Amino acid sequence: MLVTVATVILVAFNLLERNLRTRLENFGINTIISREMVMNSDPIAMPNQPRPDAFASLDKFGERLRLRQFYLRARMPWQPEIMIMSYGDEALPILAGLLHTNTPVICFNENMPENSLVEVSFERQQAVAVVRSPKGFFRPLVGQSLLLVPQGMFPEAERIGYVETVVFRKKAGTLSIPQFVSAIHNLFLMDERNPPQIQSAVGMVKELENLQARQAQWRSAMAGMLGLALALVFGAIAVLEFRQNVYVSALMRSFGAPGKALYIRQWLENAILANLAAISAILALACFHKELFGMLGFPADLLNLNSANPYWSWEIALILLWVNVGAFLSSLSVAIGLRQPVGEILS
Amino acid sequence: MSAVPLSIASFPAPPEPSIERSGEKIACEHLFFRYSRKTDWVINDFSQQFRPGITMIKGASGCGKSTLLRLLAGYLPPSSGRVEMPGGFHPEDREFQRKQLGFVFQQLNLLPLATVARNLEMAGSLAGLSHEETLERTQHWLMLLGLKQFADRRPAYLSGGQQQRAAIARALIKDPSILLLDEPTSGLHDLNTQVISNTLRHFVTGPRICVICTHDHRLEFIAHEILDFNRFLPLEGHLVALAGTAE
Repeated sequence: MLVTVATVILVAFNLLERNLRTRLENFGINTIISREMVMNSDPIAMPNQPRPDAFASLDKFGERLRLRQFYLRARMPWQPEIMIMSYGDEALPILAGLLHTNTPVICFNENMPENSLVEVSFERQQAVAVVRSPKGFFRPLVGQSLLLVPQGMFPEAERIGYVETVVFRKKAGTLSIPQFVSAIHNLFLMDERNPPQIQSAVGMVKELENLQARQAQWRSAMAGMLGLALALVFGAIAVLEFRQNVYVSALMRSFGAPGKALYIRQWLENAILANLAAISAILALACFHKELFGMLGFPADLLNLNSANPYWSWEIALILLWVNVGAFLSSLSVAIGLRQPVGEILS
Repeated sequence: MSAVPLSIASFPAPPEPSIERSGEKIACEHLFFRYSRKTDWVINDFSQQFRPGITMIKGASGCGKSTLLRLLAGYLPPSSGRVEMPGGFHPEDREFQRKQLGFVFQQLNLLPLATVARNLEMAGSLAGLSHEETLERTQHWLMLLGLKQFADRRPAYLSGGQQQRAAIARALIKDPSILLLDEPTSGLHDLNTQVISNTLRHFVTGPRICVICTHDHRLEFIAHEILDFNRFLPLEGHLVALAGTAE
């Protein structure tokens, strides 16, 4: 029972950390996304027109991609709501390898077969899009699907406003992320505009650090509790069986059985029983891993034991180590008995 | 529990055994022993030789007979002095305890969860006998001591006499050269006592040495030598022992 509880908690932490790491990898550690709402009453620039580029001065610190996210959504026969973004001419070098000769529309989706052409509809308009897997600049933008259309393809959507979305990929060794964010804010202040909404990996990194700190605390607490509980359980067994173990080992010694062999036999017996029980508990959990942790709300793709197996980790090794410490403790009664002369025990 | 017929007829008196009284001896030299520094000496400067044959040690309760037997078996370390076994063995040698020594405790100390046969087999196996030999000897001693029908019973389901015979069978299965018995017939009726004494007389032949600690006068007739242990007691302990005996 103790092993089961400890394993569930440690595996849950492992899954949480992996989940966060996956999100961080998808987003990119050097990626910063700026989102600025542009309404049709925007004094700086009207929709459907080229806007002044506020971030041009940041180009030397990395690459960027400017897109416009529409408020309205497109549809596919099997997906009713698809986010739409539009790209301008400046994005063409980045999109060069993604565009299809038959269509300028790209549908980013992880689950659909790449290179296939799909029909999408927006209001009463139809278009054909080529399916691409979201990579690079597009990875942090895509949840389920993203439809990327050239600017001006759906003018009525742009006319009601959009979110100017700029994805930065900072070069390593230049500005730090906080400095980069501060630079964006300063640029907006200079233009007397409200600062945009900024999304970066800093939050996720902090979350990961917090989780790791909590995980370390839990591991320490768990190791302490598990050790204490196992020491109590095995200690109680050792006390209850003390007289019996000491008596039997003394009797065997009276027949000439070597003390070391008796101790090793007792220790092996305890270790085999304790390890069998612990490993059975861990294997039972591994068998019901998807059901149990799926019920606890972990995403299904994270629960695939073939990609990463949290039951084959040093946390589990730590649990088994404690189990073996307990088995060792419970065999101490025999060790104590072996120090007494046979004639005193069997008197 | 069904009673098993036990008759003297099934244990015919063996021919008078031939004893090599001049063979190798157990030698105790200036043996001292006490259980802790705060207690009096239980064995106080005891020197004696135990020759082949049966030596019976008698004495008052608490005079140290059982302690001496444990010292001879190497189950207690002497505070000073030494015990030398035939063949140059030291009593605490594992090899000696495994192969040469047969010991019957006053409390019998049969393994409670093992059957009678298993108790014997375990002793034989620890003595290094082959599996076949162990089984053969187990059957032999169970039959000789009238325990064959109880082979598969656990000690708790045997009478006191049957348990006593099982303990003796366990000591004899390894064919020991030294046999030490602590009160082997205490509380047993005459028939059981006779079975045990006949078995011992039959077994202790040649260079074998058997030391029996007992109050039981019925065993005196098989002894080649009787040692009154009271005389080794210090004066005060002697008086206490005498008072105990008088009571």
